[in-house]
Amino acid sequence: MAGGVALTAAALGGLRSAWAQPGFDLEQLMRALAQVRAGEATFTEKRTVAMLERTLESSGRLSFEAPDTFVRETLKPRRERVAVVGNTMTMSLGQRSRTMPLDSVPEAAVIMEAIRGTLTGNRDAIERHFSATVSGTAQRWLLELVPREPRLREQVISVRVAGQQALVREVTVALADGDRSVMSIEPATAAPRGASNPANPANPASAPSAPS
Amino acid sequence: MRAALERLGSFARRTAFALWLIGVLAAAGITSRTNYVADLSAFLPRAPSAEQAVLLDQLRSGIAARLVLIGIEGGTPEARRSASLEFARRLRASGAFDDVHNGDNSQFEATGRFLFDHRYLLSPAVDAQRFGVEGLRTAIEETTSLLGTPAGAMIKPVILRDPTGETVRMAEAMLPAQAPRSDAGVWVSRHASRAVLIATTRADGGDLDAQERALRLLRSSFAPFEAQGLRLIVSGSGSFAVASRAQIKAEVERLAIAGGVAIVALLLLAFGGSLRTLVTALLPVATGVLAGIAAVSLVFGNVHGVTLGFGTTLIGEAVDYAIYYLIQARSAPGTERGAGARHWIDASWPTVRLGLWTSVCGFAALLFSGFPGLAQLGVFSIAGLVAAALTTRWVFTRLAPDGAPGMGLRRHLGAAVGWCTAVLPRLRWPLVALTLLAVFTLAWLPTPWRGDLGALSPVGAAKMALDTELRADLGASDAGTLVAVSAADEAGALMQAEAVGARLDQLVDAGQLAGYESPARILPSPATQQRRRAALPDRDSLRTRLAEATRDGPLPAARLDGFIDDVQAARAQPLLTRAALRGTPLAGALDALLVPGSAERPWRALLSLQAGARPIDAAQLRKALADVPGARVVAIKPELDALYARYLREAGVQALLGALAVCVLLALHLRSWRRLRRIAQPVAAAVLIVLAVLSASGVALGILHLVGLLLTVAIGSNYALFFDQIRDQQEHRLPGSPVTIDNDTLASLALANLTAVISFGLLAMSSIPALFAIGQVVAPGILLSLLLSAAFIAPRRG
Repeated sequence: MAGGVALTAAALGGLRSAWAQPGFDLEQLMRALAQVRAGEATFTEKRTVAMLERTLESSGRLSFEAPDTFVRETLKPRRERVAVVGNTMTMSLGQRSRTMPLDSVPEAAVIMEAIRGTLTGNRDAIERHFSATVSGTAQRWLLELVPREPRLREQVISVRVAGQQALVREVTVALADGDRSVMSIEPATAAPRGASNPANPANPASAPSAPS
Repeated sequence: MRAALERLGSFARRTAFALWLIGVLAAAGITSRTNYVADLSAFLPRAPSAEQAVLLDQLRSGIAARLVLIGIEGGTPEARRSASLEFARRLRASGAFDDVHNGDNSQFEATGRFLFDHRYLLSPAVDAQRFGVEGLRTAIEETTSLLGTPAGAMIKPVILRDPTGETVRMAEAMLPAQAPRSDAGVWVSRHASRAVLIATTRADGGDLDAQERALRLLRSSFAPFEAQGLRLIVSGSGSFAVASRAQIKAEVERLAIAGGVAIVALLLLAFGGSLRTLVTALLPVATGVLAGIAAVSLVFGNVHGVTLGFGTTLIGEAVDYAIYYLIQARSAPGTERGAGARHWIDASWPTVRLGLWTSVCGFAALLFSGFPGLAQLGVFSIAGLVAAALTTRWVFTRLAPDGAPGMGLRRHLGAAVGWCTAVLPRLRWPLVALTLLAVFTLAWLPTPWRGDLGALSPVGAAKMALDTELRADLGASDAGTLVAVSAADEAGALMQAEAVGARLDQLVDAGQLAGYESPARILPSPATQQRRRAALPDRDSLRTRLAEATRDGPLPAARLDGFIDDVQAARAQPLLTRAALRGTPLAGALDALLVPGSAERPWRALLSLQAGARPIDAAQLRKALADVPGARVVAIKPELDALYARYLREAGVQALLGALAVCVLLALHLRSWRRLRRIAQPVAAAVLIVLAVLSASGVALGILHLVGLLLTVAIGSNYALFFDQIRDQQEHRLPGSPVTIDNDTLASLALANLTAVISFGLLAMSSIPALFAIGQVVAPGILLSLLLSAAFIAPRRG
């Protein structure tokens, strides 16, 4: 029921925020996002790389579960899977699989932390790695993340996450060499399995808090 | 005739003295040239099998023994970061280290270039299929899919020459599964405010002098950063070994001085401040120590620091001989000069000699020990005691023919022991009950013989904890489980390593293993390289296939001429060997895992395993490797523990044999079961009570406690022998003559006991576990032996 829960949670959380607060900030965005404990979605990614003749396209599934699990499974053009649980990242491609600590590869971690942190509404994780700016409203917001680490900024200019209510809809990564990728996210419509204990979105106090 | 006999006697005495002098001078000469060592590997068992020899060899001088774990603490993260970069740069420039890793990848340029130049020999992905149309298409798609992400930054500059992404595949294979956290380009701790580095000393792990120099250099290189308020922390087996050696050295000096001062003070008190007597009393001690060191040096080629520390206790035991003689040989006033010596030789020397034989029997058990360190203790003790006893017998009788004059403390000591012999026998039954209680305690409690090798290390718990923390930070697994394979040559060893690697890969895929390091990842076997090289197509075929594979792809074949050229060049590339890697940055890493063979032993490849979430199951691993001939799974800690447990059992049997030999010796000499029982009772009771108290207080007993028990028996039996001698003399006195009690002999026993208890008591205060264990057993053991002898073999009073 994660999708349904997510949608309901998103709608209610978003509405509540929109009505209650005129100025929308990171605190409110993260609180709204944190109320969705788990979810699944499909994605399509378009990557523009200067040295290639054409845009690279891929698509697949995303799923996350609080506090710190995020899985990106590419189905096309090739099956590929990246799973991050806590500080462990497992990358699988065909028969090959590699596991490594996420924090030992900062250039991979930067994207993972941005997406996982946003999906799970982990404000601490976001602020630890990025300076974050929120614009828009609870209804339509834009979160701009700039890596705090100067050496990473030499590679990644920014990660921009756009969303509606408690739903992440688009992640745009702009690289320093001009390459960029845009990932569009569609919440899964079919009711998938794997929802953890659904939070009561109407009562934030009873909702499990975001992990720190 | 009589004159001739006297001349002969005098010559014999003079000759004994001259022989003694020559012996002492020779021993002093050997001692001055002796090589002193302090690495604790002497207390590692001599390995019985070749595999275990490799294991111990690895522990002593393998890569693990050369690692230095480094942390930088204090200051701001930025200060730590720049210190890490600059410090690592200095260490690399110093030449004392093969490798210094701190997460700064800029230093890997040379490695990267070497790998890139040899990618078609080294990449695990290269095979004929990969260079077919489908293989090329898939590989190029995979590689291009990395572009446009931060992770693709590495491949981007080279993709036109390496479109199949062999660089990525090599990196994947070589990167460790447990890498440290990287922050701002340097490694940092996950749990503490600390930058972390890992260095490999160029010096062998077993070469402690060189290790010490490397560590000194490390500390002095850090001085400028210390001025900025940063702190350096260092750990690793080399630093432990160097610190242990310094600690043992300082401690042995301290013990020798403290023991010497205490004994000298005691002797001065005992002999009423006579300096001449003091110097005389110390002669057998000095002779014994010199003889001990010289003998060990001659037999083993070096003398261990712990042997020396233990040797200080010989002061306590060897001085006993002097005390026995100087007190017991005192002749009655007015008698002829030398009467005291003659009396002593008649009355006491047989007892002292018997005591010496029993001690030698006890220590002889150590000679057969599988631990070189223990065998040293055995040789040292036997040589030392024999030399001290001979000095007393042959030199003292000439130097001090009438014992020592001063009374000093002796009268009081004699009185005190006299009082003990009056009171203690009344406590005989309570003492028997206490002994029985000890027996029941020992039977009731689980066996206390559960000490392990770790208990021998003088490294403190705090340092061990820091080491564990740094290892966790660095992902430097403490040598846990190894797979060793061997073959006649380099190629064979690498092929074996590949065969093991193929099985391990399955375990990694199944999640039973986090990863492993293999020499074949750095240097594939010639057969594998040959196969890869043979899989590379010629220019025309590659061009044709590439055109097809890139149709409609993002990367047109027209831009991949560099790739085609490189593949053609690779087809003519010579195969890489260990020799070819010399001078490259990969040589160090390879040497850690590939041990060259010689005429006596085969080439050996070591694969070191990293456990995942679950610990490695050695049995399962053995099953997985069952079809690789000669592959051996070595789980280091359990293996060492098993070895140690076996040696502990062996040493226990040796000790029992030693005790049996002592009994047989006594039985043969005394020819009386009653007297044998009389002597054995107090000593056995003392041993049982000490054991019971130690086990009841939860002490884990190990091999050195066993040595302590042997010593207790060796020294304690001397007291029992003297009490027995007194009793025997009383029983064989002329009928009708009064029962006399020899207070002088009693005083000499008390003084001897006091000096020995003091030296072993000092040992019990040592922070070196090996010495502490011995002191902890012997000091109470011999005190009890004296008291129980007094209680059980009390002389009759008139």
